[in-house]
Formats: sequence, C-alpha cells, structure tokens
Amino acid sequence: MPQQPPSPAAVAEDLAQIRRLRLASFVEATTLLVLVFVAVPLKHLFDYPLAVRLMGPVHGAAFIAYGWSLVTTVSGGGWSRSEIARLGFAAFLPFGGFLNAGLLRRKRAALAGARP
Amino acid sequence: MPYLWLKAVHVAAVLLFIGGLFAQTFALASAQGSAPLARWDRLATVPAMLIVWVTGATIAVEAGWFTSPWLWAKLVFVLALTGLHGIQSGKLRRLRGGDLPSSPNSTLRVAGFIATAVASIAVLVVAKPF
Repeated sequence: MPQQPPSPAAVAEDLAQIRRLRLASFVEATTLLVLVFVAVPLKHLFDYPLAVRLMGPVHGAAFIAYGWSLVTTVSGGGWSRSEIARLGFAAFLPFGGFLNAGLLRRKRAALAGARP
Repeated sequence: MPYLWLKAVHVAAVLLFIGGLFAQTFALASAQGSAPLARWDRLATVPAMLIVWVTGATIAVEAGWFTSPWLWAKLVFVLALTGLHGIQSGKLRRLRGGDLPSSPNSTLRVAGFIATAVASIAVLVVAKPF
C-alpha cells in the first residue's frame, strides 16, 4: 500500500519540534561552555565557587530539557540511528550542541520540501 | 528557599507531571491525538517536569542525599518517566499526523508501568529504605 504523504498540520508540528530542539541544543551547548570555560576556572584558579554553584544547576536543567526534546523529536519518526546517536553524543561535548545546527537545518529543509 | 517550600513546589509539580503523563497515555489510544492535550502539555506538563527536576536536584544537593542508594533508585524511575513522556509526545504528534492509535493492551501496560513507578518513587522517598 503506498504511504500517504504527511498532512500540512503534521509537517508544521514536526518543523516546530525541530525548532524547539535547536533552541534546546543551543541553550545546552552555551551553558556547558560557560560552566567549563568560565565557572570552573573561576572556582579553581580564583577560588570563586559561586559561579559553579549557579551554573551547575542551570546547565543540569538545560541538559534535561535537551535530552527530553531529543527523545520527543526522534519519537515522532524520520530519524536514522546515526542521526540520533550524533545528537545524543553532542550533549556531552563542549561545542557539540553548536555542531547540531547543520544537521537540524538540513532536516528542517528536507521536511519543508516534503510539505504537500 | 526553605526546605518545606521547595518540597511543596516539588510535590505540586510531580502531581501535575504525572497527571499529564496519564492523560498522554490514554489520549494515545483515542482515534486522533487530542489537540487541547498538546497545548496543555506545552503549557503545564513540560514546565512541571522541568520544575520537578530542578527542585528535586536542589533538595537532594542541600540535604546531601546523592550518596544515598534510595535516591539513585528513585532517579532511575524519574528518568524512565521523563523518557516515557518524551516518547509519548512524539507518538502523539504521529497520531495527529494520521498514525494508528495504541492498542488497549499496550495502553493498560503503560498506565500500569506509570502507576508502579509512581508508587515506587513514593515509597523510596518517604521510607528511604536503604
């Protein structure tokens, strides 16, 4: 049986979900950079632990939000295992979240092109 | 924030989150994913889930509970429920896009899992058995 093309509403929802994942990825990557390159040196080099105490929980929340957004996005279907693994690993690497931007832009373009 | 206020916010957020999770589970069995539920999810359930994590982590750090095994057991269930919420959000999007609804059996299995996880979390955090 030929597969039905997705409805415009479904495509719009998928595009909005990828937009949310991009935002979550950007916030996660930015908070990780601030934690690793600003807060941790401030604590160990300048004996100023407050920055880590603040940024630790902020990055933790951003990490959970990104993980949840990733699960929500890929559960909607249309993602290969390697794409999912790449998006998952990115959360653990400094700058990793920024590297997601290209992949997510391509997915958005492909999805927008499939709009009936 | 004083411990009792943090705990009150945490418990309120947990109740909202679990309510939203059950609503998702049963909406997945309906013929088409409920549009008001998707909105409720964004406005209430997802923020509640984030508040659960932030307040829970703050309480655990303040009380020094990260060395307690019961907390790690509880975290496994919390992580599973968070993941389940993400999976169900994706499935609801597919359902609204024209996918078939879940079978009654799988719906009851998932609801049973949520109930078991919530009961386990309550016992672990209140009795702190180990």
